[in-house]
Amino acid sequence: MSAPIVVGYTATDAGADALALGIRLARSLDAAVHLVMVLPSEGSRNAAVVPERAYEDLLRGQARDWLAEAVQRVPEGVTRSAHVRFAESFAEGLIAAGEEFGARLIVVGAAGGGRFGRHRLGSVASELLHSSTVPVALAPAGTAAQDEQVVSRVTAALGTRAGADILLDEAAALAGDSGTALRLVSLVSLDVPAGLDTGMIRLVGGAHAQDVLSGARDRLPEGVDASVEEAPGDSIEDAVTHLDWLPGEVMLVGSSRLAQPRRLFLGSTAAKMLHVLPVPMIVVPRTRAEAGAL
Amino acid sequence: MTDTSRAMEPESGVTTGISQKGLSAGAVGVLGAVVIGVSTIAPAYTLTASLGPTVSVVGTQVPAIILVGFIPMLLTAFGYRELNRVMPDSGTSFTWGVRAFGPWIGWMTGWGLIAATVIVLSNLAGIAVEFLFLLIAQLTGNAGIADLAFNPIINVVVCLLFMLGATFVSYRDMKTTQKFQYILVSFQVIVLLLFAGVAIVKAVSGDAPDATAFSWSWFNPFEVPTFSAFAAGLSLSIFIFWGWDVVLTMNEETKNPEKTPGRAAMVTVVVVVSLYLLLSIGLIMFAGVGSGALGLANEDISANVFFALSDPVLGPLAFLVSLAVLSSSAASLQSTAVGPARTLLAMGHYDALPKKFARVSPRFFTPGYATIVSAVVASVFYAVMRLLSENVLTDTILSLGMMICFYYGLTAFACVWYFRRQWFDSVRSFFFTFLFPLVGGGILAVLFVTTLIDSMDPAYGSGSSVGGLGLVFVLGVAIIVVGIVIMIWQAIRRPAFFRGETLGKDAPPSIRRR
Repeated sequence: MSAPIVVGYTATDAGADALALGIRLARSLDAAVHLVMVLPSEGSRNAAVVPERAYEDLLRGQARDWLAEAVQRVPEGVTRSAHVRFAESFAEGLIAAGEEFGARLIVVGAAGGGRFGRHRLGSVASELLHSSTVPVALAPAGTAAQDEQVVSRVTAALGTRAGADILLDEAAALAGDSGTALRLVSLVSLDVPAGLDTGMIRLVGGAHAQDVLSGARDRLPEGVDASVEEAPGDSIEDAVTHLDWLPGEVMLVGSSRLAQPRRLFLGSTAAKMLHVLPVPMIVVPRTRAEAGAL
Repeated sequence: MTDTSRAMEPESGVTTGISQKGLSAGAVGVLGAVVIGVSTIAPAYTLTASLGPTVSVVGTQVPAIILVGFIPMLLTAFGYRELNRVMPDSGTSFTWGVRAFGPWIGWMTGWGLIAATVIVLSNLAGIAVEFLFLLIAQLTGNAGIADLAFNPIINVVVCLLFMLGATFVSYRDMKTTQKFQYILVSFQVIVLLLFAGVAIVKAVSGDAPDATAFSWSWFNPFEVPTFSAFAAGLSLSIFIFWGWDVVLTMNEETKNPEKTPGRAAMVTVVVVVSLYLLLSIGLIMFAGVGSGALGLANEDISANVFFALSDPVLGPLAFLVSLAVLSSSAASLQSTAVGPARTLLAMGHYDALPKKFARVSPRFFTPGYATIVSAVVASVFYAVMRLLSENVLTDTILSLGMMICFYYGLTAFACVWYFRRQWFDSVRSFFFTFLFPLVGGGILAVLFVTTLIDSMDPAYGSGSSVGGLGLVFVLGVAIIVVGIVIMIWQAIRRPAFFRGETLGKDAPPSIRRR
């Protein structure tokens, strides 16, 4: 059994999406799911409002009811548990729970639901993506309505920037553990300095893309094979739309280079990708935790 | 609740899993509690709203009334603290009332709390609107803008926008940082000190419209002309301390439940009383208690005295007062909105109101439905009052004082009655569960009845009347009657609560006889 999956649950559509994706990943990876509902601790929100422990108790009761309902929706055969946590922010509480459970992934729903595309980052998801030490999976709106039981393919978006190595390992591990195909997609052409004209990008990109992909393929662990694909297009949005996506597929991206070591930070490329990506996105920290640490 | 069981609970088990990190115990220290207290009381707001009406009834004896007014508040707060210690509950007065006196009286106690907070919400928003326009006028140097606040349409529209904003903030439970709150409170205190200081200096140097020499006799409560005036003044000064009790009743939420609440309550009351005394003395010395253009008893300015006096006192710096009142009303608007919403939530929870009221927003974890309902009611109340009353702010403040006496008094008696078997357990319980709340509740009851009788006179308050009876009286009675009607309707719709099935009467047994 692999490390558990923490689902950041709320009794909303976004929460249902997160739960659905969490279950799908748990089945594929043979992992347990921990439903975690993070409530605001009293007195941490507004310094003018009197903190009231009784209200906290009431909220806890309500949260337990919500979780008990949600747990019913987890199919037989998936190990599950549910927890209520109090923290100053939802993201903070989830990260703490992720670390406590030694989670492989934290799953949250993209709040709001797509007015401009399927993923719209709510403040929670965005805070999480800026500070998590654990990879974060974002469930696009509507995930709960899909019937996919398991992950069908793992796609990793590679660039030449630092971080791609760990991303590659994670993607290989994910594909290996879930017994699905791995697809490597080159985003090299989109990793060149801003300001280059389109023709130039094509030229530079085309040359490097093959190098990166074949290099990546060589570095894959024994026994894992991957298809490689170049994402055509003038912009990242364009490239993502032109790729074909299987139902149940997930996409991995590395966090931005601006992130502190071992913490996530959603880069501008990944952020753009989110707007058009029809499948769940998993953001992987740039550097790995040292062996022994957490 | 020390269960810290982790991860692998049995299938479908929902654990509360309260790890130490999740415990918010010890969130509030003395300073934090004082900031909460001062923000909730909002001295800049309460004084501008109540000083005028108080001067009109007791003249120069305001300092005496402020000091005396603290007594029933203190005595009642002791009762609150005892109840909160044994029955911490979001429904506060409602739950305690039901536990002590049963569903009917308890329901009305909750109703009183909701009515009082809804009235103060509308008054707060009304004051904020006036100061918003004044601030814009002061900053742009265009005095005409300040008058826009008195155009009924503009006034109501802007006021509703304020309410909408406050509701949005409390519904979404928007985060404001502690630092920001500390700055707001410090700013408020400093500006008020400056305001009072300059008023005193100008009065002494003769540079005032109606310089009145200070006299120690202002502190003598026996010089208040009549008992009616005394009662009216007292019920107003209860309003200025309203909110102070929350500091004293905070318990588990503080860093050191033994000491923090007591110390914080002391500091808060010293800060607030000093401000009130300085300001009331300063403004009486400066403007006098007459009904001249700037006199504190002038009906045109009395509902919002800082509005009229900040310019003459501070000149170019007057905008600071506007800013202080505006920010204090805004902060108070938020913290006050929490009270009725949580009481409504508790009433829904115990089936005393439709279940909808117990609904918690799954995204923001706030009492969503209850928050919106109380905001809508406050908005409608304000709009209607604005049309009915010649001086909406004065009349709302007077009826507010009455409603506070009503539900505080009932809560104090609830304390006395609830602990009836423990009165003589110890010296401590004799004072805190019997004598103090009994005397506090008694004073509040006398105030309530006296105000009710006096306010029948159409000349009471702003002089608005309905059918030959004073508007304040009509309001007070109407609120209570509406409460009774809704209660009977609820009793027919959901009898379980009224049969005591969801929340029963109780009286803890004596510890000695056990």
